[in-house]
Amino acid sequence: MSWEDSLLKQAREIIDMYPQKRSAVGPLLHLAQSKDGYISDDSISVISKLVGITEVQLKSVSTFYSMYKQEPTGKYLLSVCKSISCEINKSDEIIDVVKDFTGLNNNETDKNGLFTFEAVECIGACGGAPAMQVNYETVEGLSPNNTLKLCEWLKKELPEVVVAEEMQEDFGGYKSFDWAISDQSGTTGSVPGFQTLKTTKERN
Amino acid sequence: MNENVKINVNGTEIQSAPNKLLIEACEDSGIHIPRFCWHKRLDPVGMCRMCLVEIETPRGKMLVPSCTTNITDDMVVDTESDVVKKAQEGVLEFLLINHPLDCPVCDKAGECPLQDQTMSYGPGESRFVEEKRHFEKPIPISEIILLDRERCILCARCTRFSDEISGDPLIEFIQRGNKTEVNTFPNEPFKSYFSGNTVQICPVGALTSTSYRFKARPWDLKSVRSTCSGCPVGCSIELNSSQNKMLRILGVDNDNVNQGWMCDKGRYNFEYLNSDLRLTSPLKKINGEFQKTTIKDIYSDLDEILKNNNNVKFLLGTNITNEEYVSFNEFAKKLTDEEPSFYINDDLLYEGFFEDDIQLAKINDLNEADTVVVWSEDLKENLPVLYLRVRQAVKNGAKLIVFGHSNSTLLDIADYFYTDDVISKNFEIGDSLPMLEGVEKFINDKNVTAIIGKSTPFQADESIKKLVSYLQKYSNLKILNAFSTGNVYGAFHTLSSIKNLSDFSEEVNSDNTDVLFVVGADPIGKSIYSNQIKKNIKDIDNVVCLDLFIHETSELGNYIIPTSSTLGEKEGTFTNIEFRTSRIDKLVPSPGQALSDWEFISGLSNFMKLDNNIDSLEELNIKAYEGLAQQTKPIFDNLDKPSNLDGILNNFEVNISTSENSGTNCDYFVGKKLYGDNVTIRYSHSISLLGAKQFIEANNSTISKLNLNSTKCLLSQDEVEVPVDFIENEKLSDGIIFIPINRRNLNKFDFSKKISITPNHSKAALNVN
Ligand code: SF4
Ligand code: SF4
Ligand code: FES
Ligand code: FES
Repeated sequence: MSWEDSLLKQAREIIDMYPQKRSAVGPLLHLAQSKDGYISDDSISVISKLVGITEVQLKSVSTFYSMYKQEPTGKYLLSVCKSISCEINKSDEIIDVVKDFTGLNNNETDKNGLFTFEAVECIGACGGAPAMQVNYETVEGLSPNNTLKLCEWLKKELPEVVVAEEMQEDFGGYKSFDWAISDQSGTTGSVPGFQTLKTTKERN
Repeated sequence: MNENVKINVNGTEIQSAPNKLLIEACEDSGIHIPRFCWHKRLDPVGMCRMCLVEIETPRGKMLVPSCTTNITDDMVVDTESDVVKKAQEGVLEFLLINHPLDCPVCDKAGECPLQDQTMSYGPGESRFVEEKRHFEKPIPISEIILLDRERCILCARCTRFSDEISGDPLIEFIQRGNKTEVNTFPNEPFKSYFSGNTVQICPVGALTSTSYRFKARPWDLKSVRSTCSGCPVGCSIELNSSQNKMLRILGVDNDNVNQGWMCDKGRYNFEYLNSDLRLTSPLKKINGEFQKTTIKDIYSDLDEILKNNNNVKFLLGTNITNEEYVSFNEFAKKLTDEEPSFYINDDLLYEGFFEDDIQLAKINDLNEADTVVVWSEDLKENLPVLYLRVRQAVKNGAKLIVFGHSNSTLLDIADYFYTDDVISKNFEIGDSLPMLEGVEKFINDKNVTAIIGKSTPFQADESIKKLVSYLQKYSNLKILNAFSTGNVYGAFHTLSSIKNLSDFSEEVNSDNTDVLFVVGADPIGKSIYSNQIKKNIKDIDNVVCLDLFIHETSELGNYIIPTSSTLGEKEGTFTNIEFRTSRIDKLVPSPGQALSDWEFISGLSNFMKLDNNIDSLEELNIKAYEGLAQQTKPIFDNLDKPSNLDGILNNFEVNISTSENSGTNCDYFVGKKLYGDNVTIRYSHSISLLGAKQFIEANNSTISKLNLNSTKCLLSQDEVEVPVDFIENEKLSDGIIFIPINRRNLNKFDFSKKISITPNHSKAALNVN
């Protein structure tokens, strides 16, 4: 098993951005995840050949970070923040709603592969706590009621693409500041290797 | 600049070289700081926190890990304060949260740093009552290593070793936090030539070897220090036995040589000592069958034979001590009037570079050199720990230039790797040498240490000379001659004249030989001149073999004398690749009537009433080093001094008189793999299968040119047929086909002629896998 040419091309472009091949591991693992929804052992073998470090070294990196998934996730990955700002703003209620609606415990995926639920550490939206992400797209200022609506909407409409702004509009509340910093230059921009992966909006 | 640094530890002032870690500086002054993860030969990581000590800082006293803190002038350190003790207790209590408390069933108990340090520094009690974490108990991570993840304390010694030292990081930490475990990638086992070292440095019983697991308790072990005679690196080792059975070999840290490491072949290739197939009584061939006899009977036969025939030849192996070489040399001198010549069981032996105008290198010179040049047999396969030392030199900043095609295992770390356009398929060096970028940048006017030897038996002597004379002219050159069989450097200075197997196959036959002694050698099983040698030996009337086992060569003997092994069954000395001579020592008795080679020869000389027989090991030992200055003589008295345990360096006169090899046009690159199909490996149970696979290697484009459509193929030439796997190795250059001649029957071809490679559709081949 291997990667399609277009994916390999993208991988090589990322590798070329770094003075040492192995430095590209972070974005390459994301690329692998964008392909399968998780980091498969096959993808690890491909990346290992591309950057010249051993498969187990890549496995070590990919299993260290919880946002690199080791198993396929559902169509919608629901990541509810449980860190301090959200906790103070009653994230436990949000978590309960999501758990009740999906019937899932932490890090579980339902049988139909629709939802995966996880309670995560700070997602950087403290100003708009409590917050959660759907497929890493953030919604802030949630209420239990709106959370339920959000879940119902996902289940009913089965949107192919979810975008932060739209969900914020429909289900969010108080929002701290704008997402996706528009100025990609300098230290506030995202890491160059990751820029090639694009945002959900840019991709669709 | 290099002034010593003064620090104050526990109220006492100590001095240390600058740039040292605190834990190391303390250690050097006899102050022991407990530790798990720190290991003198690995980069510090500060994983375990067991080495916490208090130092004074501008903000008051502070706990710091002494393994990641460099010493500075006037540093004030307390390694025993109450705070330190509390920290140590805390660390141990934490480490034991998940560690099983079942030392009585653990293989490490009795020599376990965790057990010992818990006794010395632990809190005595744990407040932890919850369930410990569980993993499947031991899982094999390779054919020879097992891992019990429950016992692992995550010190990262094994993973650092495999990454930093041996360069094959096939084990790593997987997952994180409480779930962290050491493991391999699925279906990608910890296949390393150096994996045994991780078992030795694991501070708990998490890593064990199939070889030693549950065989003994450390307090039942007897041990002695010796030297590995597996290859000329001559690693310093410790032999362990229990109830007169050799059970384990450990590496000893000899700074000049192996720095504590060993290769797995050296470590596990001793189990044959206890094999049921070991020869235990002398055998004599009567009507084509071997029959048991007595040594005395053989002595009287040989007395008769040697009196009536004076064409006597010797073929010697290299698992022979210097003292034994001397005894053969003396014996031979008495039998014949001419200078005797000895044939050494080695295809690759050639004159080497030992002339007066050559500066010979020590292994440690690799660390001092600006540039290391390698053109030799594959170091990883043939001189494994020297390969580690080359890696170390590169890690410390030396540039590495490798000439092809044999050392492809160094490709990844070489600054320049010259193959195709510089080195022909027949290992001849082209005229472009002076124009090469790497040569201009890193050889001209630099301090160069070159590891030089034959890459393959067919290489012309001349082509190596070409490189060496260039290096000698344009750089400040030191040469480490790379010969790769056992104690061959001992043979160089103890025997009056030595030749190789090519000479043997051409020169020794029934026309000129009445009696042939074959000592610990199986040229028919391993030499590329196998066929010729077999023919010749068969015709010789009297063949006397001294050996551990019956094998392809010894089975042709008229007599076989069972001998003791250099691993723990006899005493003597060994000379390594840098002419460092160290002790081989005895720990276990030899089986049955097995004798040391020298005992047999000396007994025979006595029986034959030859003059001036040397009949003690001590005298042979003294004889071996006649002419050296008294203080540097590696005689037993000197070697046993504590300061000489690492061996003594000498300049010896070298007596190699092989005939010039002008090269053979050969379509194949033939070489040896670490594990071969020889008797000692075959009868060492834990590694016995590692040398069994028959295969050939080439890169993808070479393979596809052959249009095989199958990885199973058949090599054939005349009546020789060997089924092999074709393995892809992208590190080989185009057109190179590698054939490992120490795998079964792969040495039986005539490599100067064409070997046909066809797909193997036989049933047997298809049923495999
Ligand atoms: S297996 Fe042993 S050496 Fe490796 S990390 Fe665990 S405790 Fe350390
Ligand atoms: S490198 Fe050579 S001397 Fe060292 S352990 Fe291996 S075989 Fe023995
Ligand atoms: S704590 Fe929830 S977003 Fe920071
Ligand atoms: S020995 Fe210093 S942290 Fe482990």
